[in-house]
Amino acid sequence: MIVVSFCLPNLFGLSRASNKWVFNMNYKYIGIISILLIISIFTYNTFTYVESKNTITISGAWALYPMMIKWSEEYQKINPNVRIEISAGGAGKGMVDALAGLVDIGMVSREIYPEEINRGAFWVSVVKDAVISTVNRDNPILEDILEKGIKRSIFIDIYVHGNITTWGQVIGNPKITDEIHLYTRSDSCGAAETWANYMGYRQEDLKGIAVYGDPGVAEAVKNDRLGIGFNNINYAYDAKTNLPVEGLMIVPLDLNEDGEVNENEDFYENRNSIINAIIIGAYPSPPARELNLVTKDSFTGATKDFVRWILTEGQNYALETGYVPLSSERCAEWLKTLEGQK
Amino acid sequence: MNRKLKNTIASKLMLLATISSTSLVFIMAFVLYRKSVKIFSNRSLIDLLLKSSWAPTKGDFGFYPFITSTVLVTGLAMSLSIPLCLLTAIYLSEYAPSKVRGIIKPILDLLSGIPSVVFGLWGVSFVVPIIRDYISQFVGVTTTGYCLLSGGIVLALMVFPIIISVSDEVLRSVPFEVREASFSLGATKWQTVKYAVIRRALPGIIAAIILGFSRAFGETMAVLMVVGNVAKVPSSLFDPAYPLPSLIANNYGEMMSIPLYDSAIMFAALLLMLVISFFSIIARIIQLKIERRSL
Repeated sequence: MIVVSFCLPNLFGLSRASNKWVFNMNYKYIGIISILLIISIFTYNTFTYVESKNTITISGAWALYPMMIKWSEEYQKINPNVRIEISAGGAGKGMVDALAGLVDIGMVSREIYPEEINRGAFWVSVVKDAVISTVNRDNPILEDILEKGIKRSIFIDIYVHGNITTWGQVIGNPKITDEIHLYTRSDSCGAAETWANYMGYRQEDLKGIAVYGDPGVAEAVKNDRLGIGFNNINYAYDAKTNLPVEGLMIVPLDLNEDGEVNENEDFYENRNSIINAIIIGAYPSPPARELNLVTKDSFTGATKDFVRWILTEGQNYALETGYVPLSSERCAEWLKTLEGQK
Repeated sequence: MNRKLKNTIASKLMLLATISSTSLVFIMAFVLYRKSVKIFSNRSLIDLLLKSSWAPTKGDFGFYPFITSTVLVTGLAMSLSIPLCLLTAIYLSEYAPSKVRGIIKPILDLLSGIPSVVFGLWGVSFVVPIIRDYISQFVGVTTTGYCLLSGGIVLALMVFPIIISVSDEVLRSVPFEVREASFSLGATKWQTVKYAVIRRALPGIIAAIILGFSRAFGETMAVLMVVGNVAKVPSSLFDPAYPLPSLIANNYGEMMSIPLYDSAIMFAALLLMLVISFFSIIARIIQLKIERRSL
């Protein structure tokens, strides 16, 4: 098409320029164009032929996106004839795309709802990660937060009821009147749903400015001194340094509600420590959760091979990418589900 | 005979093409209506349009915040862009030396080709912080920067190139004799532009603005990224808003899991279409009136 549009102005230009040899030139151009078109039609067909055989299309959760990139790279190394195309757009998109048959695999980072199962959603869990609460590094009460953590009930007051609106109220100090700038996700997503589940609610109950995508929330909190948000682990910690992303601090959850962060609750220092906390169950679930791959009815062909690989060898890449691999029993269960012998 | 037959066939074919492309509008409206009809089953249209509570899992579908947000964001964008665009177009067509024009026109064309996601990212990293850190202090309010104003500014920038290049073409198409006649009466350049050129070009300029408007209404991605997306009627420029296209794009993912949600989203699409048609009809009427007056 590009070739054609380049030639067309020439065609017109010539016919205006000199009427005499326009006729021959036109035919010449038309000849070239048609040859190119014929070539392109043939090559297009061969391309689509290859595609229909070995391309796996994937869309959905931001939470699984970095993991899936890693898996697809590794898988394509050992299976050079497979092409994997991945796009991120939130768990909801992954679910809708998978159920509509637009993609082979939908990445869904939340529970699967009964309505979706009724519509033929079939899924296996592949890894675990967690949603964590983040604030800006220059937060006015940063030291208090790191020392005391934030209780679940206070999160509920901030996110759902909206009756805590200043940072002073979080620690019971009326002198601090800095407003809380609350951020949530605009796209329907697993992170927000899981975070809401932790408080006992749904995504639509969360108040706050809704920003698009996991990186969007991280960016907003990073740039707003008064901001608080939530992220999947891999968007709150830097993959290279393993430390929290520059400008972000992770809020410790005060799990036993005693008003301080003791050594059993202090595992936010780097990505490995929080992953370890998820493995041993110190970090609660939710906000930790299993991440799912969804399709309509069942996985087949090349896609099934890929999912099987993820549940076996693929698990070895989870830790280095910043995810929690499933236990071997759990993997075996899901492999059975995958093979249809639930 | 053969020639006549060819002619008839050709004209009928073209008629068919025209009919099928225009009927697309009605087919779309019909399909959207069919898909959204479920939501009317136990709610009245008035309720849907004028209620403000939005809680799909509880079955509350009030579209009022989304409609007002759409109108406000678009209105704000247009009031920011129309004066600037017109002045730019007038400068380009009447005052600018051809060298300047030769530089500026390609830049404007480039601007119109930039994808809306890029505008959105730019809005998040530039417009939002400026509003949060400087403009808000200047006005004396606290805001996160994700607000109506950011949406309006980003949108205004996106409609710039369309309105400018179309109005510029329209102004340039005004015959030179009009200007000559005005000059010969002793009018200054500005008087000529104001009383002769613009008067003649007004219907075309309005068409340019309509074009800009229709883009502004539907532009999703860039606005979604900076506007805050809170389903509440904004009470100031610094409050977050939630326009209809963002609603559709954000919640497309929940369509399958919450009952009635799919028809609510379809209804939002239908609503967006109706709002746009309403505005273009009004604009069209104004344009016709002006054309008639100037004849």
